[in-house]
Amino acid sequence: MLSIGQLVDMQWKLGMAVSSDTCRSLNSPFVSLLLKIVEPSGQICQRAFEMTIPQFQNFHRQFKEMAAVMETV
Amino acid sequence: MTSPPTSHVNMAAGLSSEDFTNLQLLLKAPSKDAVRDVCVQSYRAPSRRLAESTAATFSIPAAEAAQLIQSLHTLSHHILFYNLTSPEQILAVFPESFHSNLKNLITKILLENSSAWRTEALSHQVSLPQLKELDWRVDLVTGSDSVSRMALPTCLVQLKIEDPCPSAGGESISTVTVELSRESLDTILDGLGRIRDQLSVVAGK
Repeated sequence: MLSIGQLVDMQWKLGMAVSSDTCRSLNSPFVSLLLKIVEPSGQICQRAFEMTIPQFQNFHRQFKEMAAVMETV
Repeated sequence: MTSPPTSHVNMAAGLSSEDFTNLQLLLKAPSKDAVRDVCVQSYRAPSRRLAESTAATFSIPAAEAAQLIQSLHTLSHHILFYNLTSPEQILAVFPESFHSNLKNLITKILLENSSAWRTEALSHQVSLPQLKELDWRVDLVTGSDSVSRMALPTCLVQLKIEDPCPSAGGESISTVTVELSRESLDTILDGLGRIRDQLSVVAGK
């Protein structure tokens, strides 16, 4: 069946930023995600991005909502 | 002749005794507010315009004003880099002989601004592209070219990702759209749940 782009893999990493050129001591956690998507043409594209913890929590909440809605249709 | 201030390097360059000599120029300020203004503005990349306006306010040569601004810049970035957050920590940076009232005033101004500077610095770190927006829509597919009657829920997810340093000619914001079946959504949720569990482990430490 026709589809826009299929997610085939999701890799993740939870990291802790320790230090940078501006702040010696950071200690701020972050989440990186790598999505592997197969486009309709068959080409595989990979997209990586980073989220802060509040962003991740919102991301997680959104996906839970999607799942809840899908259960009802 | 001393060399002109070098270009803005966002690093905690070491504070030298020369910097503290330059900071004494603040004694020529007409008011405490004038000191506050130059302290706050010099946090950004030192500019010629700031040097000129400071020279006019303080009635000092522009070259001296430029050195003052460079030294203030170095000082505020030193405070930020070492995350000095108490008056005692900041006061300890100054040499013993430094003008006492001026030392207290500079410390007070730095403390007023340090948390805002830190917040700003933290949100402008080098990073992978960042997720800016997440939009989704759940559909019910009721028919297709291969199956005329069906009822299959799918979910369209659109991610807007911002790359702070896009490759030449590339857009800084790009969009990714994926269609998720119930199964792939469950797989994602499983992964996200594990991240959440790991996070609570880290937070619990």
